[in-house]
Amino acid sequence: MIQLTQETRSGWYVVGVRGRADGETADELESALRAALEDHSKVAADLGGLDYISSAGLRAVLQAARAAEGKNAEFAVCALSPPVKKVFDMSGMHHVLRIHGELPC
Amino acid sequence: MLTMLEEVVLLAVDEKNGQLRSTREFGTAYALVGAVFFDLALARKIDTDLETVHIVDTTPTGNATLDRVLAAMSLRKDITTVRGWIEEMFLRRQDLEGEALASLIERGVLRHELSKRLWIIDVERFPMEDKKPQQHVKLRLAQAILTDQIPDTRDIMLVSIAEQCGLLGYVLSSAELANRRERVEMLSNLETISRTVTAAILNLDASLRQTMTKVV
Repeated sequence: MIQLTQETRSGWYVVGVRGRADGETADELESALRAALEDHSKVAADLGGLDYISSAGLRAVLQAARAAEGKNAEFAVCALSPPVKKVFDMSGMHHVLRIHGELPC
Repeated sequence: MLTMLEEVVLLAVDEKNGQLRSTREFGTAYALVGAVFFDLALARKIDTDLETVHIVDTTPTGNATLDRVLAAMSLRKDITTVRGWIEEMFLRRQDLEGEALASLIERGVLRHELSKRLWIIDVERFPMEDKKPQQHVKLRLAQAILTDQIPDTRDIMLVSIAEQCGLLGYVLSSAELANRRERVEMLSNLETISRTVTAAILNLDASLRQTMTKVV
């Protein structure tokens, strides 16, 4: 299960993500992030409510970052929970993504 | 579209003479097992996290090699880790390279030639019938490595498997590879399956060195 919310804060369009980002929900996550990037130049994924992320979930975030790069948009992931941060750290996602401890907005 | 396994095996074919560059070494065999797992992940049949692998969907993909591996996985609920499955498939692997070559011949990308050397030794060659697929694979690899842009998921996987098979030297010069070593390592580290395959190959190398030391 994954729950997605959207709101705007200080010029950033924030996609809030709760639950699990895995093989069953990765498409939904990637679609939501890509849709946000269609209409906004500064998009943040707030992963504070994400309990679990699998390789499929990571790929969804990475491909959203790729879409942002293609549009010259800003894309950041923020507020990673400890288990999710561990996965990001092991994968070296900080080399590719802009990762913030707090929301950038 | 070619599978990841077919793309890596195609990369191993010398475009000038149709000879296979890979030598069916253990490291390459591990990497080809990794390619099959990537294909299953791309087909949304399996998913992994830092340690475990689980089946998302057991319906066949239509590709005989992938479906054989998927069926084997669905029967063995006792193996749950990526490492466990890489080792299991390595031990019970059939000729993944041969199956990919047969598929590439069927698709009209390669043709098979068998000749004799010194009248007795069989020599197999796989000359290109269509050069475009291999050129496309090489172009994607070069773009993924030489630019700083975030590559497509397939290209990230392709870089890591080609690196593990020792095939990147046929795409880029030594100088280019040396300059972009950090980039190759960064891309290869992004996927759990690649990290596990790399660890398995290193472990195998260490075991072989230990065995050789005992023999000597």
